[in-house]
Amino acid sequence: MFGGLRERLQAVRNRLSSSIGAVVAPPAAEQDTTSPVASSTEPVKTAAPSFVDKVKVLVLERELIVSEKNVAEALSELELTLLESDVALPVTDAIIISVRKNLVGKHRKIGESVDAMVVSALKMALLEVLGKGFDLKEYITSHPHPVKILFTGVNGTGKTTSVAKIGSYLHKQGFSVVIGAGDTYRAGAIEQIAVHAERIGIKIIQHKEGADPSAVLFDTVQYAISHKIDVVLADTAGRFHTKSNLMNQLDKIKRVMKPDLVVYVDEAVAGNDAVIRAAEFDRTIGADAIVLTKADMDSRGGAAISIAHTIGKPLMFLGVGQGYDDIIPFDPVGVVNELLDSA
Amino acid sequence: MLDNLSYSLKDALKKLAGKTIVDRAAVDELVKDLQRALLSADVNVKLVMDLSKAVRTRSLDEQLPKGTNVREHVLRIVYQELVRLVWASTEVRLEPQTILMAGLQGSGKTTTTAKLARYFQKKGMKVAVICADTFRPGAYEQLSTLCTRIHVPCYGNPAEKDAIKITREGLAALKEHELIIVDTQGRHALEPDLIQEIIDLNVITKATHRWLVIDAALGQQASEQAKRFHEAIGIDGVIITKMDGTAKGGGAMSAVAETKSGIAFIGAGETIEDLERFDADGFISRLLGMGDLKALYEKASEAIKAEDVDVNAIMKGKFTLRDMYKQLEALNKMGPLKQIMGMLPLGNMELPDGVLDVTSVKMVRYRIIMDSMTPNELDDPTLINSSRMARIAHGAGSTPDEVRELLKYFKTMQRTLKGLRGAGSGSKFSMQRLMKKFSGQQ
Repeated sequence: MFGGLRERLQAVRNRLSSSIGAVVAPPAAEQDTTSPVASSTEPVKTAAPSFVDKVKVLVLERELIVSEKNVAEALSELELTLLESDVALPVTDAIIISVRKNLVGKHRKIGESVDAMVVSALKMALLEVLGKGFDLKEYITSHPHPVKILFTGVNGTGKTTSVAKIGSYLHKQGFSVVIGAGDTYRAGAIEQIAVHAERIGIKIIQHKEGADPSAVLFDTVQYAISHKIDVVLADTAGRFHTKSNLMNQLDKIKRVMKPDLVVYVDEAVAGNDAVIRAAEFDRTIGADAIVLTKADMDSRGGAAISIAHTIGKPLMFLGVGQGYDDIIPFDPVGVVNELLDSA
Repeated sequence: MLDNLSYSLKDALKKLAGKTIVDRAAVDELVKDLQRALLSADVNVKLVMDLSKAVRTRSLDEQLPKGTNVREHVLRIVYQELVRLVWASTEVRLEPQTILMAGLQGSGKTTTTAKLARYFQKKGMKVAVICADTFRPGAYEQLSTLCTRIHVPCYGNPAEKDAIKITREGLAALKEHELIIVDTQGRHALEPDLIQEIIDLNVITKATHRWLVIDAALGQQASEQAKRFHEAIGIDGVIITKMDGTAKGGGAMSAVAETKSGIAFIGAGETIEDLERFDADGFISRLLGMGDLKALYEKASEAIKAEDVDVNAIMKGKFTLRDMYKQLEALNKMGPLKQIMGMLPLGNMELPDGVLDVTSVKMVRYRIIMDSMTPNELDDPTLINSSRMARIAHGAGSTPDEVRELLKYFKTMQRTLKGLRGAGSGSKFSMQRLMKKFSGQQ
C-alpha cells in the first residue's frame, strides 16, 4: 500500500522544489517587479508579504520569500495527485491549505535546500492529518481486563475477517481472547467466524442466526469475566449509517456490553463515501480507532488519510491480505517518512 | 443516493440561468463545479478531465439551437456526455445462460447472486446457483441459506478446496436448469493466482455473461480493477451494489467506462428483492435531479396493480389516511419509502428524516391500527378523539400511544407533501410542471 501515492508525492515534491528554486535564478528581477504578488485568489491565513518587505529581506538578509505564485502550479498538481489517490475532496483541500500555509511567506536563505523545506511542509501536512497511531498491545496491558472491543462498519468492509486477524495477532502476543459472534443477520456469518475461531484456536460465543446481537455479546462479556479472559472481540453485522433502526440496534449493543474501544472498520479502496460514513458512525456510535482493510488492493492509500482526517481518530491496523497474519499495526510517522524520504 | 452529486450540479447549472449568450467565464465556472461534483462522487480523475473538456468545447463551439436557452443547451450537453460515460444498459435476456460473478472481496457477490437468482426466478426461469467460493469460511452456508429461502438449488461443497472441480461437477449436476449463476470468491487484480482461477472458471463454464460486482463506495481504484478483470475474462456487465448507502457509485461508473460494458443491475438493500434493472437515461436523470419516473413505474407495475399506489393522489396533495394505508400496503412489495421517494421527481427536496425512517415492522403495525378505524375516521382523521383512540387501540390490540404515533406520522407525511405542493406556483399542479421545476427551468 501507499506505493503509488509515494511515487506521485515524489513527483510533486520535485515539482515544488523546482518551482520554488526557480526564483533563485533571477534575484534581480524580483526587485524590478512593481506589482506585489498579493494577487492571491484564495485567502491564505498568512498575510502576503509586502513588496517592501521582500526587497528588504532579499537585500539585507539574503533571503527569499516564497510567494503564492511560486507554488500555485505545483500545488494544483498535488491536488490532483491526492484526488487520484482517493483522498476525499474536503481532505485534499485541507492538506493543500496546510502545505501552502507552511510554504508561502517562508523566508529562505539563498542556497538553503529547497527540497528540505518542501519535504518538511508536506510531512507536516500529512502528519497533521494522520494523527498519532494506536498501540493496541499497550492499551490492553494498561487497562483492566477484560478489554472489550466492539467492531462496527458498513457491509462488506471485512469486519469478520479483521476480528479473526486481530484475534490471531493478540493470541500470538500471549493474550487470552474470546470472540462474540454478533453478526446474527447475514446468512453464513456465524459459520464464518466460528471456522476462523476454530482455526486460530480461540473460544467463540455464538447464538442462533436471528438472535439478538446484544444478548450474544453480553454473554461473551460474562464468559470473559468468569473465565478471566484478557480481551473480548465483538463482531457485528454490517450496517449502513442511513438505516436508523440498525444504528439504534448498535446503540443498544453499546449500552449492553459497554465496550472499552469502538473500532470502526472500513476498506482502503473506498472513495469519497468513506468520509461521509466514517463521520456518521463517529457521530452516532463513536469510534476510538480505525482498522483499514484491503490495503493490499490499493497502492494509493488515500482512504487512510481521508478517514483519519475526518474523524480525527487514530488508525490502528491495516489489513493487507487474506491470511491471518496479514495485518500490520499502523505507524503514521513511519508511513509518512517512507512516503517522502528517499531518492 | 446520488443526492449530493446532483445537488452540486444543479448549483452549477443555476449559475447559467438567465444568461442569453454562452459566456466563457460562466462555462468555465460550470466546468469547474462539474469537475468537483464528479470527483467527489468518485468518478475517475481522467474520465472527469475528459468529460469536462468535452463539455467545455461543445458548450462554446456548438451553435445554440433555436428556442433553447443557454442553460438548456449546456444541460443537454452535460447530460449527453454523462450518458456517454455510463455507456448503455446491458441487455438481459430471458434465455438459457450461464452467468459468472466476479469482483473484489466484500463487494457483495454472494448476496447479489441470490438476488439475481430471485430476479430470474420471478421472471419464470428455472434457476440454479453454484458456490465456487472455496476460500471464505461460511460462504457456502450463506449462499445455500439464501437459496433455500427462495427454493433455488445451490450446488457446493464446503469441504472441497478446488473451485474448478466444484464448478465442473455443479454444471453437470444442474444440467436441467436453464440459468446457472456461478458465485466466485472475492479477488483483486493484484493476485495472479486468483485471476488465473477466474480465467479457468470462465473457460469451463463457457459463461454467457461475466458480470463484475462493484461496491458503490469503490473509489479511484475502480477503473484499474475493472481494467484487469476485463483483460482477464472480458467483463460484459457491471452490477453496482450497496446503493442504499450514501455512496454515489462514481467508481462503478468509471468501471463501466473502462470495460465499455453497461450497468446490468443495481442492488439497494439487504432483502433478496432489492435488485433493480439499470436504465442509463434514468440514472442520469436522477443524477441531474429530474427524477426517474420510469424506474418507479417499472417497479410498481411488477409488484402491484396500478391502482394500488396512486402516485398522482400523493402528488396532488390530497392525502388521507386511506392513501397512507394503500401506500403501506404497497410498500412491502416496493421497498422502503425512501427509495420510492428517491425515484419521484422531487429533485432534492429535503424530506424530514423521520418521515422516511419508519421500519417495515412499524408499517405492519400501522396497517393493523388503520384496519380498526371507521371509514369516516380514515377520511377525516381529525374526528379521532381520545375515546375513539381508545376504541381503535383496543380493536387493534395496541395502545393509544401507538395510535397517536401513527397520527403524528400521518401529519408529518401530509405536511411534507403539502410543502412540496406549496413549492409549486398555484393550486393546479401537474407532474410535468414539477419535472420542469426541478430540472431547473423556473
